[in-house]
Amino acid sequence: MGIWILIPIFLPVVAGVLLLLSSAKAEEETPPRCASAAERAGHSKNAARGAGAAKSLTRLHCITAAVLVVSAVLALFAAWSGDNSYTWFELMEGIPIYFQIDDVGRLFVTVFSIAWVLVCFYAFTYMKHEGKEQRFFGFYLIVYGVLVALCFSGNLVTLYLFYELMTLTSMPMVLHSGTRESIMAALKYLFYSMCGAYLGLFAIFFLYKYCDTLTFTAGGTLNLALAEGHTGILLAAVMAALIGFGAKAGMFPLHAWLPTAHPVAPAPASAVLSGIIAKAGVLAIIRVVFYTVGADFIRGTWVQTAWMSLALLTVFMGSMLAFREKVFKKRLAYSTVSQVSYILFGLSVLSPTAMEGALLHVVFHAFIKCALFLTAGIFIFQAGLSNVDQLEGIGKKMPKTLWCFTFASLALIGIPPTSGFISKWYLAQGALEAEVGAYSWAGPAVLLLSALLTAGYLLPIVTNGFFPKKKEQGEAVQKEGASAHGATITAYAAGNASAADAEDGSSAAASAEVPLGMLIPLAAFAALAVLLGIFPNPLIRFVGQIAASVL
Amino acid sequence: MELVQNFPFLTIILALFSGPLCSILKSKAAKWVNTIVIALILVMSVAVLIFTIQTGEAYVYQMGHFSAPWGNEIRVGILEALMAVFFCVVMLLCMLGGRRELAEEVEETKQNLYYVMVGLLLSSLLALIYTNDLFTAYVFVEINTISACGLIMIRQNGRAIEAATRYMIMSLLGSGLLLMGICYLYDLTGHLLMSNIKEQVALLQQSGEYHIPLLIAITLMSVGLAIKSALFPFHSWVPDAYGYSTLSSAAILSSLVSKGYIFLVIKIFYRVIGFDVIRESKVINVLFVFGVLGMIFGSVNAIRENNIRRMIAWSSVAQIGYIYMGFGLGTTAGMIASLFRILSHAATKSMLFISASGLTDVSNHDTDFFGLTGSGYRNKIAGIAFTVGSLSMVGIPLFSGFISKVLFASAAYDTSGKLIPAMIALALSTLLNSIYFMKTVIRIYTPSHRAGIATDTRTIAIREQPQKTVVLVLFIALNLVLGLGSQPIVDLLTKGLEMFG
Repeated sequence: MGIWILIPIFLPVVAGVLLLLSSAKAEEETPPRCASAAERAGHSKNAARGAGAAKSLTRLHCITAAVLVVSAVLALFAAWSGDNSYTWFELMEGIPIYFQIDDVGRLFVTVFSIAWVLVCFYAFTYMKHEGKEQRFFGFYLIVYGVLVALCFSGNLVTLYLFYELMTLTSMPMVLHSGTRESIMAALKYLFYSMCGAYLGLFAIFFLYKYCDTLTFTAGGTLNLALAEGHTGILLAAVMAALIGFGAKAGMFPLHAWLPTAHPVAPAPASAVLSGIIAKAGVLAIIRVVFYTVGADFIRGTWVQTAWMSLALLTVFMGSMLAFREKVFKKRLAYSTVSQVSYILFGLSVLSPTAMEGALLHVVFHAFIKCALFLTAGIFIFQAGLSNVDQLEGIGKKMPKTLWCFTFASLALIGIPPTSGFISKWYLAQGALEAEVGAYSWAGPAVLLLSALLTAGYLLPIVTNGFFPKKKEQGEAVQKEGASAHGATITAYAAGNASAADAEDGSSAAASAEVPLGMLIPLAAFAALAVLLGIFPNPLIRFVGQIAASVL
Repeated sequence: MELVQNFPFLTIILALFSGPLCSILKSKAAKWVNTIVIALILVMSVAVLIFTIQTGEAYVYQMGHFSAPWGNEIRVGILEALMAVFFCVVMLLCMLGGRRELAEEVEETKQNLYYVMVGLLLSSLLALIYTNDLFTAYVFVEINTISACGLIMIRQNGRAIEAATRYMIMSLLGSGLLLMGICYLYDLTGHLLMSNIKEQVALLQQSGEYHIPLLIAITLMSVGLAIKSALFPFHSWVPDAYGYSTLSSAAILSSLVSKGYIFLVIKIFYRVIGFDVIRESKVINVLFVFGVLGMIFGSVNAIRENNIRRMIAWSSVAQIGYIYMGFGLGTTAGMIASLFRILSHAATKSMLFISASGLTDVSNHDTDFFGLTGSGYRNKIAGIAFTVGSLSMVGIPLFSGFISKVLFASAAYDTSGKLIPAMIALALSTLLNSIYFMKTVIRIYTPSHRAGIATDTRTIAIREQPQKTVVLVLFIALNLVLGLGSQPIVDLLTKGLEMFG
């Protein structure tokens, strides 16, 4: 029965490749479009296109949605229908490409699938404003298949294979607009990811020598007799893996791709890059530390200390940078840098409670960050506003959107009864319990400080959005913001800013009817962010099981 | 003696005489004679490979029934047969893939000459693979050099002639050093047959006599062949020679000619001197250092290069560095990693050259980086093949490059002291590779109207170039076979290396 695991992996990949092949034909035949401001406002675009084009677009949406939903259902079915494993083929002697379903895989694949499907529905509307939908959705489907494979990976080499494939297939989503900036951002993303993945591979070589097997086993498979005397180099290898896979998770020192890649990518792509693909780095770290090396091997060593320090440093640094940042999506990117390191800190203290907190935060942050990026996308899509200073009074125009944003922000800050509170509670509790010296109080202190900063960079958007300052002040801020924005790096966002410049700032958002196709996924994410905080018990029990099995 | 056992000798002679035959035929007939001869040699080599796998041991074939110390010998084992099969496959694909360019770029009257050169080249490669006599090896090294020069020079433009001259100078310097090394060795041992030399060298080693002359001989031969195979810092002729010669020449030179010399290095290490003596001589440490430097330096230059053909040529410099780094590790595992790299690089590099030319065809024959914008859409199969080749070079799992990197890394693991430099070099070179290859892949898939660059709008559909499509598809398949089914091949290499010494 194991072979069923392959279906949710291959179905989206094959469908995606077919979409790409048929889009490659259309690609060069499409005449260059003039990039007028009117076209950017998505609703007029459909009218401009022929009826045939609209029909083919609908067909594309139907195909994508059908394939994605079917594969998500199959993936969830495969995940929850019991433990299962399947060896696909032998890459080299003793290195099979092997899939295995366990609780961590279940947790991640569930979160990934829900978020991927919701963001997909949002993207149907949003991508009208970016064009080249077929290419986007082709890669979108492929990445989903690769992510499912990543969650189901049963050994380190399989994980590495799909990790690399994930980097390569998600890169075209970053360079979607095809401008010079986006290509440079995509190369930066590629460079950091490759750098990180190679550090991971370096560790895999060593672990291959010293572990009984690379197959993931709760508690680790390190052969302590063999490792005797080589502890130094093994610890260095583990550290390399942490830094390497930490690149995807945005951990210092390889975090710099996030703030570059996010502003240029289309909003749905930013949402999944931050919400989901950053989590793939977390998954890889969990697999290396808890399922291959074993937590006991690094407990109390310099690796644990360095890991905790890097995570805390990233938490603080990310929040500070987000606080200073004026471009909305860049601010959210820095926020991701900071929040994913909450998770890494929770893992690094190696205590069951903190690990529960970390896993909870994986789930919650995925949904919250998707909600936040989708909001940013709506502001860009509806009104061309990409700078936080331009959002003065936006609550009057798009109250529903801003309410969703408010709930998601509260959840990210961690105000009860929203979800973020629960994960942060467990994180702090776990850090205090753990015997990690000064870190057991320094950790919670930094987390608290960062929560304050989170409030500092998210809540002003809400308050200014609902309660704009007086008109003249508002206008002054507007001008300043727009001129500062002229220097930002994204090409189309700059175009939008000038469009916003031309009109009177506050009336830029005049056409504020948010399409339901975008609002519903956003509301769903916001609802998840809140409801999971009110009814967290089944989830807490589930992550409790995972933490108990590995620690 | 079975019929199959004659095949290695027959293939050499067949290739050698197909040359003169081509020179008197009409050019169209010559083309077909050449193709059929290569295909025939391929079939015969496969038969030899199967035979050696079945018997499981190497055999010696005496030329003209003169016995050991005087006669000339051929020695065939799994490794030799496997290399011969592989070289023939790549040669055949390179010739088919570059046919149209050959017809366009080379004067009608010179085309026969081209097939003469290819015949000579193939015969010298096969001889280098099979021979058991050091002086025969030297003779065929020279034949190889001359024919390779011809391959570069056949395209009569200034850059190609300059490149051929440079190649000639460097190559003859290498041959000279090799010859001097052989002379020393002959003086010391009194033999030219490889197996006999090895016995005498072992005796010398035991008695401790002539230590320094032996060291000099080893050094001269290693350095000579390193120069000929374009190891850093003797690579200066590479970018021009591969960048401006006609397509088949570039593909054959990068994937086969340098590999022939490298195979001779392996043969000298294992069969002439003995690997233990080589290891003690510390020459391999020098090779290791230059291999590592070549890996880094070649990639850095590839990044700075704007001409796609020259970029791929620089990447070859880096790949040769990989192979010598594997030698430098001084273990059998390192040698197997290098051998696998030879196969993987031969399969990938020729594919890259052919697909790159497919891309420039739809870009006004512009080899400049920006001219290629969007060419992946205009010539789809070339775009796909270039992407596959790039991914393989970067070392993405599923493709051959990843396997060879894993082999290098696990080989480096068993050495003392070379682990960290080897790992760092592998890491750096992977990163640098990913920069220039992925940059190019992104460029060829950037729609030109979006990037605002006016390019050629001509497209070449798959059905307009059936030959090239088949060749590229076969190359992609070869790459996937090496990437997915590597274990049987690594097993064969291991077994072949055991019976090689």
